[in-house]
Order: sequence, then structure tokens, then C-alpha cells
Amino acid sequence: MIISVTALSWLVSIATAMTALAPIVLIIFWIRDWLKGRLW
Amino acid sequence: MNSIHSAALDPDIGWLILAIFSVMWIVLGAYLGRRVEGLEGYMLAGRKVGLALGTATAMATWVTSNTTMAAPQLALQMGVWGMLGYSLGSVGLLLFAPLARLIHGLMPSGFTSGDFVRLRYGKAAWRVFLAISLFYGFGWLVSMGMAGGVLVNALTGIDYRIGMTVILAVCVLYTMLGGLRAVIGTDFIQTLIILFGVVILAWLAIVDVGFERMHAAVLQKRPELLNLLMPAAIMFLFNNLLFGVGEIFHSNVWWSRAFAFRKGVGFKAYLIAGIFWMPIPIVAGFVALTVPALNLNVPAADMVGPLVAAKLLGTSGAILVFILVFAALASSLDSLLAATSDLILTDIYKGHIKPHATEEELARKARWVVLGLGALAWILCLPRITTLAELLYFTVAFVASTIWPIAAGLYLRRANATGATLAMVAGTGIGLAGYFLIGFYVAALISAAVSMFIVLISSWLRPANFDWAILANSREAHP
Repeated sequence: MIISVTALSWLVSIATAMTALAPIVLIIFWIRDWLKGRLW
Repeated sequence: MNSIHSAALDPDIGWLILAIFSVMWIVLGAYLGRRVEGLEGYMLAGRKVGLALGTATAMATWVTSNTTMAAPQLALQMGVWGMLGYSLGSVGLLLFAPLARLIHGLMPSGFTSGDFVRLRYGKAAWRVFLAISLFYGFGWLVSMGMAGGVLVNALTGIDYRIGMTVILAVCVLYTMLGGLRAVIGTDFIQTLIILFGVVILAWLAIVDVGFERMHAAVLQKRPELLNLLMPAAIMFLFNNLLFGVGEIFHSNVWWSRAFAFRKGVGFKAYLIAGIFWMPIPIVAGFVALTVPALNLNVPAADMVGPLVAAKLLGTSGAILVFILVFAALASSLDSLLAATSDLILTDIYKGHIKPHATEEELARKARWVVLGLGALAWILCLPRITTLAELLYFTVAFVASTIWPIAAGLYLRRANATGATLAMVAGTGIGLAGYFLIGFYVAALISAAVSMFIVLISSWLRPANFDWAILANSREAHP
């Protein structure tokens, strides 16, 4: 059973989009923690 | 210098990048460590780490060079299931989220995973656990050190031993200077570098090669890589899932963070880290599927990631992947150095050699333990004994045997010491037999199954009645 080009492209595209979102979320968390004085 | 160098960086550029990032990590580590006070400050960053740094350090530590280098290797060897199987490593982070909350609640003054096993199961289980944990810690540390040397050699032509020495020395130095605070602080920046780097590489691979061309070339030259029913790959998928769970459940790298996080942070940090970690091996691994389309000659499977990047992006690609993997290496090496040295300091030195050592004395010795551990890892890294994935998967039989003793020990009052000890010994032994007789992809499955059977049967036949309050006094109860 061979994975289709469509399925492969969806798999990789969604994974790439999620990975691109991660640093944005981390930076938002950092700013929030910093403002609350809860970084450390 | 070898044939790989033809598609890589000029050694002078390699040295420049090494120098810039080495100085950056060391200065940052020293800066973050300037306010570290006492053993808790050094080993556990003061126990007040917030959500942003907590999430980033969990992600960065789990994104090792084995993710950025072995994920493409596994995609090249096992195709789609190779990268999907690797991404199931995130299950360990997700499942550890509730455990982190429980650990923090049960052991508010705990220091190491060894503290838990000693108090929960007694000294025999503790010693078996320490043997497994330290063996795995060394194995992973050596794997990371070797990966550093391989990367530097593949991308710049700089001698394997020199590259490995520089990367290991940098990590040892900033971990020595700042303890866990330096490790977690640098992890945040390293996480951002890794994530941006992986996304840029993936995006350029998609744009330059395209899914249609990639799929057609793989289908023509390596159709098995697109086969969703490759038996060995499916076995690998479950094996990797159990490996991830076993590694995270037992390793002090993760326990020390559970102790170090601010109250209420552990669950969220591990859960979010698991969700965001899951796609990374797919993004990092799929670039290996461009190999047939690019007609790339890959002399060693563990170098496929850097080679594809250099082929796709030329010098800038080689620079990007070099920075990315240096960050991934450093984020894991520093965590391993800190967590393993904590085990050596508290469980071996204080636990077995000098039981009456004070916290001040331990705090003074902590830096020397990091240095000694780094020196030992350097010696073991000198000969490049095997490929990265082989070394990593040799240890799976060990760590998978700890899943049930740890989980049952945290949740089941009935779990007993004899069962836990036997589960770790028999699980490891039979798992290793599976590794050598059948293949690396079944070692964790067999080890975890044997361990589960023994823990459950022994808890049923000879139930213990453990008093959870014993765990709360972990500090006072230290031998």
C-alpha cells in the first residue's frame, strides 16, 4: 500500500505549519511570563 | 577531509560559526548562572521555572541531534513510517505531563529520579535503576558527542575528533558555570533556532523539489519507502513509542525538570512540548525523501540530513543546518550533563560514598562532577564505534524495562519492590536478547512487555501497602 502524493503533501504541510507555529507560541509565553515576573 | 567535503562548508566558515555560537552559549550560561545559589539553585534552577522556559526546555531537550540527523536517516531507511515512528517519541512527553504534576505534588523537595525509586522501592531496585539510568545517560551523551563530531566533519571537513571535542567542551563549560539555570535559559534560544531552521529547510525542500517530483522519484527508485505496510517499519513505530515513553519516564533529565518547574507548570509544559514536538521529526525527516529526486550519493545514512541541505541550498544551507544541529546538540548535551551529574552527585556520591555530605559540599562538587562526566564522555566519543541510530537503539531494552516500575510506583500502592527490581532486570535481559536475535526494532516491545507482566503479576500476588507520605520527605530521608 503506497502513500499517495496528496497524502504525503498533506502530512508534510501540516507538520511544517505546526512547527512554524511553535516558536510564535513560545515567544508569547515568554512575554507573558516576563510581564508577570514568572520567568524563573 | 573526505568526499563529503565537496558538498559542504569551507572549514574557515565552519570554525567561524563554531566560534560565534560557542562564545554565545558560554557567555549566556555564565550570565544566567551568576545568581545561582546553593544546591537547589544549581541543580534545579531554584524550583521556580515558568511555562515559557519550561515548555522550551522540554522541547529542546527532546529535539536532539538524533531528531535532526537520525530522523532523515530513518526516513531514508524506513520511509514514511520511519519519520512517523520517530514522531511518536512525543507520546513520552504527553504521557509524562500528568506524571510531572504528580511527581511535583508527591515529592516537593525531591532532587532526582533516583530519590523516587529509592524511597518507593528500596535500595536493591534503586541500584538496578541507577545502573540502567547511568548506562543510558552515558549512551545518550556519547551518541550526542559523536553526532557533533559527525556533523562538523560532514559539513566542514574539520576532523571528527576536533569537532566533537569543541562541541562537548562548550557544553561542559556553560553547564559547569550555570547549572540547570544555564541549561534551561540556553534551551529557549536553541529551541527557537531549531524550529526556525527546520521550517526553513523543509520549506525550501518543498519549493525546490516539490511533492510530485519527490514522490515520483522515490516511487521509481525506492518504492518501499512509500509503502505503508513495511513490517519492520511498523514494528519500529511501536518500538520508538515505547522507547520514548521509557526514556522520559525513567530519565533524570525529565524528572529534574519536573522538580525545577514552578507549581502548576509541569503538566502544561510537557503537554504543550509534546504537541509541538510531534511534527518535528516529520519536518526534519522528509527531506531524506528528496534523495532519489536529487540523485544524491549518500555515503553514510546518518549524514543524509546535512548532505541534502547542502545539496539543496549550497553554502547557506550548509550554514543553516550547521547552526541548527549545533543548537540541537547543545540543548541535549547540556541537559544530559546536568541531569546525569545530578544522579552521580546525589545518588552515587552522597547515596553510596559520603552519606553525610552537606548541601554546601555537594554544591561545591557539582561543577567538578559535570567536568568529570564531560571528560569521560569525550573519551568514549573518540572512536566512532557505530552509527547514531544503532547506538541509540541498543539502549532501548534498558529504558523500556523501567516504564512499568515507574508508572506503577507512582499510581499503584500495591506495586512492590521485588516485582519492580525483577521487572527491570528481566525486561532488560530479554529485551537485549530480542535486540540481538531478532532486530533493534523489537527490543523495547519485548522489554516493556516482560516488565509489565512482572509488575502486574507481582502486584496482584504480593501487594504492597505503600505509604505515599514517605515520598514527601525525600530530602530528609536521603541515606
